[in-house]
Order: sequence, then C-alpha cells, then structure tokens
Amino acid sequence: MLRYFTSILLFLGLFTAQAQSKSIDLQPKDTISYKQPYGLRAGIDLSRPALSFFNSDYTGLEIVADYRLTQSLYLAGEIGNEKKTFQEELSNVVTANTSPLYNFTVSGSYIKLGVDYNTYENWYGMNNSIFIGGRYAFSTFNQTINDNFIYNSNRYWNPDQFANGTLSNIEYGGLSASWLEFLVGIKAELFANIYLGASVRIGFLVSNTEDDNFPNLWIPGFNKITDGSNFGVGYNYSISYLVPLYRKAKKIKPPATSVK
Amino acid sequence: MRRMSFKFPRLRLSMSGIRLSSIGLIFLIGLLAISSCEKDDICVDGDTPLLIIRFYNAADSTALKSVASLRIIGIGNGEPVDTFTDRSSTDSVAVPLRINEISTQFQIILNSDGDDDAETGNIDTLQFNYETNEVFISRACGFVANYEIETDTLTVDTDNWIQGIEITNPSVTSQDSAHVKIFH
Repeated sequence: MLRYFTSILLFLGLFTAQAQSKSIDLQPKDTISYKQPYGLRAGIDLSRPALSFFNSDYTGLEIVADYRLTQSLYLAGEIGNEKKTFQEELSNVVTANTSPLYNFTVSGSYIKLGVDYNTYENWYGMNNSIFIGGRYAFSTFNQTINDNFIYNSNRYWNPDQFANGTLSNIEYGGLSASWLEFLVGIKAELFANIYLGASVRIGFLVSNTEDDNFPNLWIPGFNKITDGSNFGVGYNYSISYLVPLYRKAKKIKPPATSVK
Repeated sequence: MRRMSFKFPRLRLSMSGIRLSSIGLIFLIGLLAISSCEKDDICVDGDTPLLIIRFYNAADSTALKSVASLRIIGIGNGEPVDTFTDRSSTDSVAVPLRINEISTQFQIILNSDGDDDAETGNIDTLQFNYETNEVFISRACGFVANYEIETDTLTVDTDNWIQGIEITNPSVTSQDSAHVKIFH
C-alpha cells in the first residue's frame, strides 16, 4: 500500500516538474490597449449663426460632419446656406457725404466634400486632432442688385450724389461655382463625444458661371472674389457630437527587438 | 542600432505632420495679410465717358478750326461746363451727358462775353438724343453709363454760327476718339 502511494507521489511530482518548465516572465508586456472610437461626427458651425445674430446683412448656417475611416483619415464635409447683402461705396474720392455705388444681395447654398488627415498623435485616452484637409466644393446661388448708381467722375449734372441707375431689384439667377479648398484645423474633445473645432481655409476657384452683365462678387462658402485672383479665404468654428459606432485599438507596430 | 531604427520612423512621421500644418498656417496668414489691402477698393478701371466734340472748318471739312471764346452751358444746369477753360479758344471739348435722361441740350456760345444774364456772344442750341446703357466695370467702380447717340437737333435761329453737325462715332463708350464733328 505504501509503495502504491509513493508511486502516485512520484507520478504527481513528474507533473509539477512539467509545470515548472515554463519560465516566469519577469518583464511582462503592457497588454492594456485603448480602443479609439470610430463613428460619425456631426455638428454645426458656431460663427455663422453668431454673425447672423449680430449682423443684419447676413444670415448663414453650416452643418459639418466627418466619418472616421482609419487611424488618421476622415471623410469630411460641410453643407451650408448663406445670404449676404453688400453696400458698396466709393472709397477713393474724398467727399463730405458718402457716395453709394451699388447694393446687392447674394443668396445660395454650398456643399464641400473631402478628407481630413489627423497629424496629431494623441496621448493615451485622448481623441483630439490637429488636421489638414482638402475639399471639393460646389455652390449654387443668385445675385440680386437692390439698387445702383452710375459712377461718373464728372459732377456737372449730379453734384451731390451719383445719378440713380435703373437696375433695382434685378436678379441674376442660376449662378454656380466650384473650387478646391485646403484647410488646417483642430478638434478638441470637451466632454465625452462632444468636440469643439476650428479651421481656416483657402479656396482656389476652379469654375465660375457668371452673368455677362454682373459678375460674381461673392460666393456662399467661398467668400469674396477678388479681382484678378482665384483665391478665397474662410473659416469655421464647429461644435459637434460623435456617434460612436465601434471601437478599434490603434495598431501597435511590433517592436523591432522581438525579431531575432 | 536596431532599437534606433524602430524609433526613428515614428518620430519622423509626427515631424512631417507638424511641418505640413505649420507651412499651411504660414501660407494662410500670408494670404489673409495680402487680401486685407487690395486693388478692389480703388476705382481705377473706368468712368462714364464724356462726349467729345471737335470743331472743324466748314469750308475745309478736314481742317480743325478753333472756336473763339467758347462757352458751353448745359440747359437745366445753367453753369458753364467745367471740363475746359471757360471762354477759351479751343477746337476740342468734352461735355457730360445727362445720365437719367434720353437727351441733353447745350447752349454752345461763340465769342462769349458779358455777364451771365447779359450774354453778348452768338448762342446756338444743340440737342443730343441718345440711349443709355448701364455697364458694370469693377467691384470698386460699380456701374458706369455708356451712350448710343441716335440723333442731334440744332435749334434754328436767325444767325446760326454752327453750319453742320456730323456724328462720327455714335457709341460713346470711351474718350479715345471724337464722337461728334461740328463745322463752322
């Protein structure tokens, strides 16, 4: 009987020796990885409603959205509608009373589609971005001359003010323009899934359909068209909400030292 | 050495990102600075043209002939036209047309002298009938008027010094050449 027990112990001892054969890892690798949220982020531009509130000549709204494709790349776009009235005055003639030249209103919508590329490497658990991006933008709009005056440096017949023109309430419709946009911006997570962002943009006008009698002077989404230049500048301040659809850990490159 | 080769590409990746965005920022700031002062603010692109009248010899229709002590008064204004020296001898004048009207009348006075209400010169009254087009020039200038002269009417009196009128260029869109010839 004793012999029987001894043989069992020996048998078990064989097992324990086998368990011990695996060496103890004294430098365990950190296996906790932060899974970054992926999803659709949508929001509105804050500057346009604010300008609409403070400036009676302007109303505008812009909806911004992006969808995260990879670690750094986002599909991004904006949709907006703007209406702005301009009063142009003669600025290079020094007169006691101002000389109005013409007054016009531009009204229309635009869409911008493209990508954002995040260049910022977040610390653990953060979801901020400093990004560069590109867009292709398209706008349809109309321009209305509200009233006009006839510029004439000779003041013989009209000594006080320029003569009235006859183009009041003339609408030039069906205008369109497209442009390429380059932008630089940031997005910071304020609270969980709520982001505050800002961007500055340069637009390069690609196409511009205008009326022969009255050229396009301002394009919704593009801003002012400068004489003899295809560039426009813009900006936005956005607040947006991320709808997290899934989470994915950032791919960690295997350390080179592990390859032997 | 192997450890170095692992860290290097990661560092370079973020560096290139920062460099790209900072170039973009500098570019944007530069563009904003340029766009703040632009030629769009100053009207240099055009003007409403004046009607250019040249005076020719009635006996020799190719020879210019000066009008002695010329004064031109726009009817409805009463003041002498200010585009040339009043009561000077000249063979070429530029007169402004009324923009909102279909015609403008001028008193063209030869040998003008005396007080405004006691003119002693020979007054001839000439009327131009025209069509006005409003043309957009540029953002800074806005609209100017261009004219298309249709007819001219010389009021007949007992001693007209103007013997003939010829509209040589009915499209008044620039001041590069004469629009009307007056023979005397």
